[in-house]
Amino acid sequence: MGKQDIIKSLKDSLFTGLIALALFGPIVGLRTVSKGEGLFITPQWGVVFLLVGLCILGRFLININSARRTEFKIFSTLSSKFSSITEDKAKHFAITGILFAVVFPFLPFTDRYFMDVAIMILTYIMLGWGLNIVVGLAGLLDLGYVAFYAVGAYSYALIATTFGWSFWICLPLAGVFAAFFGILLGFPVLRLRGDYLAIVTLGFGEIIRIILINWYEVTNGPDGITGIPRPSFFGLPFKRSPDEGETSFHLFFNLEYSTMHRIIFLYYLILVLALITNYFTLKIRKLPVGRAWEALREDEIACKSLGVNPTNTKLTAFAIGAMFGGFAGSFFATRQAFISPESFTFIESAIIVAIVVLGGMGSQTGVVLASIFLIGITEMFRDLEQFRMIAFGGAMVLIMVFKPKGILANRKPTILMHGDKK
Amino acid sequence: MSNLLSVENLTMKFGGLTAIDDLSFDAKNNQITSIIGPNGAGKTTVFNCLTGFYKPTNGQMFLHKEDSKISLRKYTDFKIAYVAKVARTFQNIRLFPAMSVLENLLVAQHNELMVASGYSLFGLLNLKSYRDKEQLAVDKAKYWLDIIGLTHRADDNAGDLPYGDQRKLEIVRAMCIEPRLLCLDEPAAGLNPKESAELNKLLKFIKTEKQTGILLIEHDMSVVMGISDHVVVLNYGKKIFAGTAEQTKNSKEVIEAYLGVDE
Repeated sequence: MGKQDIIKSLKDSLFTGLIALALFGPIVGLRTVSKGEGLFITPQWGVVFLLVGLCILGRFLININSARRTEFKIFSTLSSKFSSITEDKAKHFAITGILFAVVFPFLPFTDRYFMDVAIMILTYIMLGWGLNIVVGLAGLLDLGYVAFYAVGAYSYALIATTFGWSFWICLPLAGVFAAFFGILLGFPVLRLRGDYLAIVTLGFGEIIRIILINWYEVTNGPDGITGIPRPSFFGLPFKRSPDEGETSFHLFFNLEYSTMHRIIFLYYLILVLALITNYFTLKIRKLPVGRAWEALREDEIACKSLGVNPTNTKLTAFAIGAMFGGFAGSFFATRQAFISPESFTFIESAIIVAIVVLGGMGSQTGVVLASIFLIGITEMFRDLEQFRMIAFGGAMVLIMVFKPKGILANRKPTILMHGDKK
Repeated sequence: MSNLLSVENLTMKFGGLTAIDDLSFDAKNNQITSIIGPNGAGKTTVFNCLTGFYKPTNGQMFLHKEDSKISLRKYTDFKIAYVAKVARTFQNIRLFPAMSVLENLLVAQHNELMVASGYSLFGLLNLKSYRDKEQLAVDKAKYWLDIIGLTHRADDNAGDLPYGDQRKLEIVRAMCIEPRLLCLDEPAAGLNPKESAELNKLLKFIKTEKQTGILLIEHDMSVVMGISDHVVVLNYGKKIFAGTAEQTKNSKEVIEAYLGVDE
């Protein structure tokens, strides 16, 4: 390494330090403390200089390292590990994954907290798989997917609290309602593509949320809906002391009462719902409509020139994607027993889109990996309170740097003429 | 030889610009009709009118069937290919690059397969009737791939093919909708002499074996003169000449349009 290189990397490091100073100066340096009658600023320049110094040193080390053409060992192996996961290996991964998911509730280290996190991850996996139909296959960037999640949740909550119908009747109804809203959104945006479509869907998500807040008579506004019935195990409720003439789950199976029963049931419920979503997507991808979705993503004009009806094709993608969002929504409602518009903000849409994009557009296994990675990492850092979102951002940056096309970007053809060569 | 397509007084205006001016010509069954002319003569605009991408300002376009004729003006968008069976290719290739070659050809058979799959219901149930239909579609794709010699690459992504093969694939993809009229927009653009010769062979095969009328826009005169039965020459949106390839070569108007007039 020549002298010039060192001078160059020194200059570069100092410039980095300047940027770090501009960022850390106001954010860390000027700390606001509320004391008695007002808010005061306490400067903490020592910490700022420490952080800036670290940035300069870090940048300098990176520069020297890259000049020597030695990469960071950890990153490169991590990166090659990921790229070696092809769809073929993904199949083994999928089978192991499903087996693990099935036995997960009975593993010795699994406690209530782990179960809650697992249920949350599975909900996101299901939402990711649902959105994958719209974004990954049909190529319609939908930033308002949470709207269908909300429609599903509110449909279930309203029907169940008003008519007292069981979960198993309300679930398909919620899916139908969500699909209907999918078509409702689909119609005005048929002509839009790319960025314009994204903006309108984003607006649609907000419209639904604002309606939920303001339509007080029906949705109970910001107070939300309480007392949503819990699901029962094919008619057997999970209650310590069942009502007259009712048998509860633990009595029927002669078990000691435990709140875990319901949690485990919910876990399996979302696992089955998610797997149905996955199975359906894998199947429909190989049907003419699935191929038309992908063709539409690739080139809409070519599609028209071949006689493919883009209107119907887009609407089915919106409707089916929305339907699975609706299913996930009713699961969410029955799990929480309470819903309010606050659960359906834009950040939810953003997380689901992030899962689909980072997982690798159109890849089913990719969605699973991205969900576990993003939600799992964010959960691991829960103790850091508000700073855990930094972990979320960091996880996203890591994927973008090392797998810019998503964790699993290999697409396998839906039909083969020569069969598997491997 | 019976008429397949007749274009009558076609006019297309974009604001103040008249791209096509009162154009009339015919194309016959089992013939290759070429439309040539200098850049900006309005050739592609004619195609866009025929294939429903533009709505012409004036004029009629008829597609003749055995005993009836249908007006192409009535069909727009995807219905031109679906109902009227007019297929087209594009000046800049429009394949589905991230999908396999075979999938490209199956998307072209979308409408039949959609019905066969019971709008996805039979397909989801994996009924035999659907699987048989799908096999037929694959067989048809294989038939065309055999002709252009790409069967061994059926499972590769269309975007990974060499340029010349992509051109040929786009043409056979259009043929998979079993068109009555095939409109090719500069199919020989960017091809080397060997590939151009192969293209000529393919087009002659389609003309004679498939009984499909071909409408061709082309700049490569070796292609035009080699295979055209009929040539229509456009300049500034007007037809300046129509005749056989041999007549066109010797026409004074055509030479003037391309090379300018002697001062």
